[in-house]
Amino acid sequence: MYSKELVRRQAADIAAAVPETLTQFRCSVCRGVFGSSAELQSHYAVEHPGAVPPAIIRLKLNGCLCEALIEPYWTLQRALQFRFGLTGAKHMCNRGACGSCTVIMDGRAVLACMTLAIECEGKEIQTVEGIAADTKWRPLVESYCRWDAMQCGYCTPGFLVSAKALLDKNPNPTEDECREALSGNICICGTYPRHATAILEAALKIAKGA
Amino acid sequence: MADLAGVNGQREQFRVVGQRNLPGKLSYALATGVAKFGIDYVLPDMLHAKFLRSPYANARVKSVDIAKAKDIPGVADIVTWEDEDIKALNNFGESNDSRRPWLDNIADQEGAEVAVIVVAESEDICEEALRLLDVEWEVLPHVVNLLEGRKEDAPVIRPQVRDAPMFGAPSAGGPTNPPKRGNVAYANMTSGDMDAGFAAADHIIEYDLYMPAFASLLPNPSGSVAWWFDDPYYSEGGKSLHIEGAVKDKNAISMMYRLPPEKTVQEGLFMGGKYCDWGRRKSQEITPLLAKRTGRPVRCVNTREEMFDVIMKQRYIHLKVGFTDDGLITAVDDFSIADGGAWGSSSFGNVGDMTLGPYNTLKCHNINQHMEIVDSNRYLMYISGQHCPFNWDSITVALHMIAEKLGKDPIDIARLNLHGPTSKDDPDPVPSFEACVKKGKDLMNWNWHPSGTKKLPDGRYHGMSFRYQMCPRHSFSSYSCKLEFRDGEVHMPTQGPLFGVYAVECNAMVVAEELGLEYDDVKIDFDYREPFTPLGGGSDGTTASAWAMKECANILKKQILEAAIEYAENPPMPGAVSPQPGPFKGLTADDLDIIGGRVVLKSDPSQGVPIREAAFTSELLAITDFDSQGVPVREAAQKNLFATFYGHPPLSLWATGEMGKRLDTMNTAYCEVAVDIEMGEVEILRFGVAADPGKVMRPISLESQIDQVMFFSQGCQLLEDFVFDERTGVKLNNNMIEYKKPCILDVPRVDREFLETRAGNAAYGANGISHSLANTHLVIIAIHNAIGVWVDPPATPDKILKALGKA
Repeated sequence: MYSKELVRRQAADIAAAVPETLTQFRCSVCRGVFGSSAELQSHYAVEHPGAVPPAIIRLKLNGCLCEALIEPYWTLQRALQFRFGLTGAKHMCNRGACGSCTVIMDGRAVLACMTLAIECEGKEIQTVEGIAADTKWRPLVESYCRWDAMQCGYCTPGFLVSAKALLDKNPNPTEDECREALSGNICICGTYPRHATAILEAALKIAKGA
Repeated sequence: MADLAGVNGQREQFRVVGQRNLPGKLSYALATGVAKFGIDYVLPDMLHAKFLRSPYANARVKSVDIAKAKDIPGVADIVTWEDEDIKALNNFGESNDSRRPWLDNIADQEGAEVAVIVVAESEDICEEALRLLDVEWEVLPHVVNLLEGRKEDAPVIRPQVRDAPMFGAPSAGGPTNPPKRGNVAYANMTSGDMDAGFAAADHIIEYDLYMPAFASLLPNPSGSVAWWFDDPYYSEGGKSLHIEGAVKDKNAISMMYRLPPEKTVQEGLFMGGKYCDWGRRKSQEITPLLAKRTGRPVRCVNTREEMFDVIMKQRYIHLKVGFTDDGLITAVDDFSIADGGAWGSSSFGNVGDMTLGPYNTLKCHNINQHMEIVDSNRYLMYISGQHCPFNWDSITVALHMIAEKLGKDPIDIARLNLHGPTSKDDPDPVPSFEACVKKGKDLMNWNWHPSGTKKLPDGRYHGMSFRYQMCPRHSFSSYSCKLEFRDGEVHMPTQGPLFGVYAVECNAMVVAEELGLEYDDVKIDFDYREPFTPLGGGSDGTTASAWAMKECANILKKQILEAAIEYAENPPMPGAVSPQPGPFKGLTADDLDIIGGRVVLKSDPSQGVPIREAAFTSELLAITDFDSQGVPVREAAQKNLFATFYGHPPLSLWATGEMGKRLDTMNTAYCEVAVDIEMGEVEILRFGVAADPGKVMRPISLESQIDQVMFFSQGCQLLEDFVFDERTGVKLNNNMIEYKKPCILDVPRVDREFLETRAGNAAYGANGISHSLANTHLVIIAIHNAIGVWVDPPATPDKILKALGKA
């Protein structure tokens, strides 16, 4: 169970399973299901005039074009979990203080708990599942596992995404640059000394095309 | 106390145990986000639940009108403390007081769950409904300042009678505790002759310590998702319950809902950072009831702000220590005021510490511990202990103060006062302590200097500190181990969920070691129905469960060897597709061994067969194939074997009540700081740890646990403290911005050295390190050594400057 190959396939499956096109438009107040966004909007106007209707966002998520119906006040973290089935961006602090929800948006590491999903319309977003599914980044995952750069593992995906964002920009970082890049990620279990080791080892392997 | 009772406890050659860089069995899932924690579960048609939470530190709900809230579209259910379904719920928590209803109308801390639960289509609708509840509150006086709360004229905040054993005198030989008075319960414990002890002293010092409250801050907010389903396995008696997020307490949830354990399912394997914080939150218990009432899955999750619980309660300590001219302690009088916390808090941090404390390790017999436990409205502390619970810091500070007074090295003072391995009257050195000190001194280039006497080239002052501790292990738990040799492979069925101590990996390493296999050869079958789970407290979960699994592995090994002989004695019929038996005819299991994945002759290990071909039977399977001529192929059947073992290793000193009175494995910790007396800034230059866990099972996770507690220590000594508004009793920093945990740029180097004296009593003489290394004063002492003044933790720059008279 959970061998590295199986996990890579699972990550790829999860990343690919995002809803491509909305076919049902569900009322989040009364659970009524409608065939179009326009019908849903009309339903809200008539039945729930005080409520703000859900909105549609379209993303390029881990390379897949997809769309979902979200509450306009939802964070990206919440949308990823509740609409796209991606639970790698973790809910921890919900205030941008811990980095556990880090994703890469248009090439930049961002905090999904501090980003409104509705503002991500049209953005290209990469989550830890997408990174894990990409064979190029297998050395990074493997180094994290070889060096126990995790204990309970809850914050680990956030660290891994920050590490990937660093390597995107700087494929040959120093230890200090690794620490700087991960300074927004909090690990309560105290795994800090492992991360730079893992990243540096992975960087070498990635450079060699391993 | 070494592992003499177990099979191969004295093993000298290790191939697998002790190896570095063997990935955790769940690490790939954790690193990639594939791992799902309880609160990650999202189900179709799922409802959400939220509790009414008190805006007051102490209050009673006199009445509540739910009419307006119930009318909100999207609200599915509202239950109150007066509902019969709620009244029927029981407490089965490890810390919650079973004498109190599961939910009532009393809130004894700000943010406490009270009186009402709302279930709705979304969390936002829940919150809107909660806002529309018409609640009549009776606001009661509160206590968040212990020094005020202990006063005779302080308002009494709680009717709770602290007469449970954990709040009584911890020793039958101790004085009778006075009855609770006001908010204060008492726990007293005296040994020896205090008057004689102080009379024998050449010096007496008195000092005050402050230990701040410290947040455990579980990384994953607690919560659960539950639903009921038609169960094809256990269909009788109605639906079964599926709950995710109950973490290790699936069976407690079964009891709570009066279900047989097999009708409660929890498949998730990941519980997050539950380091000795075993208390279940209400959000982890209520979802089955709400799912039953609504007929839909229900999710209830605490927010981060609702998760700011403590792992160590606030305490004020006054210590009076008598000692001789050479530094030998003659008497210790320890008076402390400890936070009793909100109703149902764990006794860790107060009386739970007394019998386990550092005073047991001293030669001195004259010890008086007198503790006032003050009920407060600060927080509920769930059972805990990751942060050193044993009042260790008081005596550590004493050793430094004695050293300072006499101009001696605190390590020498510690050595002088530490009793021998067998009793308080044993004058012999403790081998583990001596070995740790030797390693530690080398590691740190230890060269002690009096306070305020060493300046670094950059002008900052240099300080250093030292502390010793025991390496304890609970060993209270027995483990139900099972190993299967199935289709030629060894399987270790294991129940999750697990947390971050790599206990299952240690078990797999031991199985591989004992069965002559490699780590990856041991297959872990995670299954919630299995009885084995390597949980029992951090180090117990690794070392004690691994001891039991070692016994089980050797039972399986014997079975495999016997099966290999039986196969040799009874080879399959000619023509069957089957592996050749080994040359084992006429032998006994004692003549064979398993080496390198092969069953071999002990007398000639070059002769043997791969383990996967060792255990077949002469019985043939039905036709499994046809060859190219159409002739049926019949294969010999693999023999499947099952070994079980139930038990635990010989009891540890903790479990026999001799913790500290006898000494086996020890550890020492060191800290070096640089203090800028102009800016008040402290930099920890490095931590050092020389530890003897008895036997290192999995080095990389041992290192990681040490790093963790050292960073805990750093946080609570430099950064962390709960802050309350005393007027309202409201928590002011229950979020991760205002309550700052160390980040990667904050943490210093941690240098570590491990010893293996094999003096513990779990697998191969391991003892583990849990509960032993964190502390609140290692950094504080080093700061004192640098600047010559004491600063209460957390030692923020303003406090340093104030202590220096500069602010």
